[in-house]
Amino acid sequence: MVEVGLGHYLTLGAIIFSVGIAGIFLNRKNIIVILMSIELILLSVNINLVAFSIFLNDITGQIFTLFILTVAAAEAAIGLAIIVVYYRNASTIDVEKIQNLKG
Amino acid sequence: MEILLLFLPLAASIISGFFGKYIGDRSSEIITSLFVLVSAFLSLLIFYNVIINGYENNIVIASWINSGTLNVNWSIKIDPLSSVMLVVVTVISALVHIYSIGYMSHDPHKPRFMSYLSLFTFSMLTLVSADNFLQLFFGWEGVGLCSYFLIGFWFKKDTANAAAIKAFLVNRVGDFGFALGIFLIFYLFGTLNYDEVFLKVPELVNKEISLLNNSPPFSFLGTAVRSIDLICLLLFIGAMGKSAQIFLHTWLPDAMEGPTPVSALIHAATMVTAGVFLVVRCSPIFEYSVLALNVVTIIGMSTAFFAATVALVQTDIKKIIAYSTCSQLGYMFFAAGVGAYNVAMFHLFTHAFFKALLFLGSGSVIHAFNNEQNINKMGSVWKKIPYTWVMMIIGTLALTGFPFLSGFYSKDAIIEFAYLKGSTMGILAAYVGILTAFLTAIYSWRLIFKTFHGQYKNEEIKKEKIHESPIVMMVPLLILAIGSIFVGFLFKDLFISHSDSYNFWNNSIKFLNPLSNDHPPLFIIIITPILVILSIPISYYIFLKNIKITSMIVNSNKFLYNLFLNKWYFDELYEFIFVKPAKKIGLFFWKSVDIQIIDRFGPDGISELVKLFSLKAKKFQSGHIYQYAFIMLLGFSAILTFFILS
Amino acid sequence: MLVHTFFFYIFSFIAISSAIMVTASKNTVHSVLFLILDFITISCLFIMIGAEFLGMIMLIVYVGAVAVLFLFVVMMLNVAQQKKEWFSSNESSKHIPVGVLISIIIFFELTIVIGGWKFKPDIVSSMSLPLNMNTTNTHLIGNILYTDYIHLFQLSGMILLVAMIGAIVLTFRKRTGLKRQSYFAQISRERSDSVKLIDVPSKKGVDIDG
Repeated sequence: MVEVGLGHYLTLGAIIFSVGIAGIFLNRKNIIVILMSIELILLSVNINLVAFSIFLNDITGQIFTLFILTVAAAEAAIGLAIIVVYYRNASTIDVEKIQNLKG
Repeated sequence: MEILLLFLPLAASIISGFFGKYIGDRSSEIITSLFVLVSAFLSLLIFYNVIINGYENNIVIASWINSGTLNVNWSIKIDPLSSVMLVVVTVISALVHIYSIGYMSHDPHKPRFMSYLSLFTFSMLTLVSADNFLQLFFGWEGVGLCSYFLIGFWFKKDTANAAAIKAFLVNRVGDFGFALGIFLIFYLFGTLNYDEVFLKVPELVNKEISLLNNSPPFSFLGTAVRSIDLICLLLFIGAMGKSAQIFLHTWLPDAMEGPTPVSALIHAATMVTAGVFLVVRCSPIFEYSVLALNVVTIIGMSTAFFAATVALVQTDIKKIIAYSTCSQLGYMFFAAGVGAYNVAMFHLFTHAFFKALLFLGSGSVIHAFNNEQNINKMGSVWKKIPYTWVMMIIGTLALTGFPFLSGFYSKDAIIEFAYLKGSTMGILAAYVGILTAFLTAIYSWRLIFKTFHGQYKNEEIKKEKIHESPIVMMVPLLILAIGSIFVGFLFKDLFISHSDSYNFWNNSIKFLNPLSNDHPPLFIIIITPILVILSIPISYYIFLKNIKITSMIVNSNKFLYNLFLNKWYFDELYEFIFVKPAKKIGLFFWKSVDIQIIDRFGPDGISELVKLFSLKAKKFQSGHIYQYAFIMLLGFSAILTFFILS
Repeated sequence: MLVHTFFFYIFSFIAISSAIMVTASKNTVHSVLFLILDFITISCLFIMIGAEFLGMIMLIVYVGAVAVLFLFVVMMLNVAQQKKEWFSSNESSKHIPVGVLISIIIFFELTIVIGGWKFKPDIVSSMSLPLNMNTTNTHLIGNILYTDYIHLFQLSGMILLVAMIGAIVLTFRKRTGLKRQSYFAQISRERSDSVKLIDVPSKKGVDIDG
């Protein structure tokens, strides 16, 4: 097949990105899946950054990926903490039942 | 002094109207009566001055309009004509004020009543003391407004409200013509002040109306209209409305819904005479328009006859007297129409006295019968209320023109001058006048006999309980009775003298062709008094002795009886032509146009639209976060697409 | 290079399918496990491409910490098993085609950028994979991270600290019904709090509870 070049990696990132985006609003199950879709999005960005860093011979991309990793971890922790507290109050994490913003 | 005369009633009206609550009923009554009484004395003083010294004056109080060629002032003009009117208005008004203290003693709204009476007096005084048409119109409208207030005084009664509106509306029709007349005067003469207009009339006599300066003259049904004729006709339409002449008379009988003092003041002595005053004041214009004078004569005599026929069969005591007023006004107008303006004024002067006497006397009767107004429910009380009885008899004698009382001099003078005019119109008018005088006598005595004689027909009140009215109501009656008896004799030389040495009227009335000094044939002179004297036994016989004759006459002339009873079906005719279509149009405009079209596209439609849109927009706020995320995504992709494509 | 291509396709296929299964699976625990698979695959890809430090770090941090955290929460919250199938929901599922359509649109837009970029040969210097084996990846990263980007490094440490405190603060709850000692109150007790001298008048007595 074709030589695997930068474009292939970028396409891979794009696909995973789209899947993550779709996962956010297509799922009607529970909030944890939303958080996981967010992780997928961040992962796809990581792929893009690393691909660019390798192909352009610039290490900055990987440094940035490191930071994104950090932030993703922090955000996952906080998001899950919020879900736990919410579960304590609402006893459910069904997406459909969260309608406090309605109006 | 004149300023005091004019503004005392206004001050009384304001004090009583705005502060009546604080100063109490008795005080407001006393203040208003006192002030108007002072005005009456002042007017008598001025009248005396005018008679003896020929006093004339024109006091300018303030400048009203000063714009371009239009210069109109607030002023008080004293000349013979206006001084006569001042006396009439203030004296009658003062007597009515005093009478009302007694008549309205049971009414909870005395200060308001007194205030309206004084306000009316002020408006009437403004009207008669004007020196230009605009102030006249101001007073004209003012008396119309006060008449609305006073007729609808008991505003909780539906009929009173309806009557007040009817009076105002019919008056408005007349006022419309009047206003057009004033516009035309300004258009032609360039000014609204009496002196200037009257000076210019001879020059513009043959001018025809044209809408623009060079267009062909305005023509009505093929004949070119002379401007003078048109002006006079329009002014006369205003007079017709105010003085309840035929076609615009429908408001007068309904106006009896107001309290009796109101009828005495407004519908006997003052407001209805404003029309006569207008015609006489504009005599310099009317003299040049033969057409208008003829119209005035015809309308006048038709009204006199028509009202007399209707009064023959009415059962409400006040309505009989109201139609009698209508008829006497007709006399005044046809006197003016044959050129005898001074005689018209004389009749106005005497009529004020005896008509007010009759109204106030009937008020006393009504008071005695506990607000009963139907003469079929009265009778045989002349011994119980003798004082009122005597007063009413004096008034009736004066009204019918019994020899040597006031009405005799004035009414017979009218008939004589009409005959002397010589034209067919004049002679016809004279004969109609004689016939109407006979009818007047018949119905007046009918009223007396049915009210005071015969059998006692009232079921509700015991005959023993009928009592006289309090003295505060009797004194004005006495003064008016004295006036009714003596005024005619005292003032006849002043008003309708033929002497060349002294001319009371001076320049206030214009006579283009001086009135003739002859006497009509003896036949004319004596027929009226004979008929009048004969009418007493005739009506006594018909209405008291042999009552079956009346029912016989009624049954054999059913059509005429019904015609008279229903006031010649004028009200029904107007209802059919004007009122019903107007109501229909109004209803159509309200239901279909206003509600369906304007409201639908206006407020209602817009509010519905807003509600619809907000309902739709509500769906965006579902509360589901994934939906919000989705919309964010949509927006993001849209922006992305936009940037990629551009 | 054939091996490279081959492995690339295998890894990317696994990555994409597990990404889809994250959203689509019925059981939430399965979703988390698929996420872990995704992470592992991608880190293998990183190692293959030459960024081995990053790949290892991803394994340790993402899989070892974040995904385990997800698993903890999923187990703790006792998420009920979905009874219905794939993308099931209580309402009608006509939103699915629209959503899928939108994500496809986004995907195409992303690739358009790439495609347009592909036809500018002056920007892309090399089409193939340059393999630079001079220094280790770790070494390279270390060179830059602690010198040029030291401030950002410290900042990311701060972020982690804040996240940790935030998580604790959010989920902290006071348990009622526990008897606790407050050392501070014990130590800061003064004589004036506990002893009071009163002069008792004779034969009168004193009110103790006052």
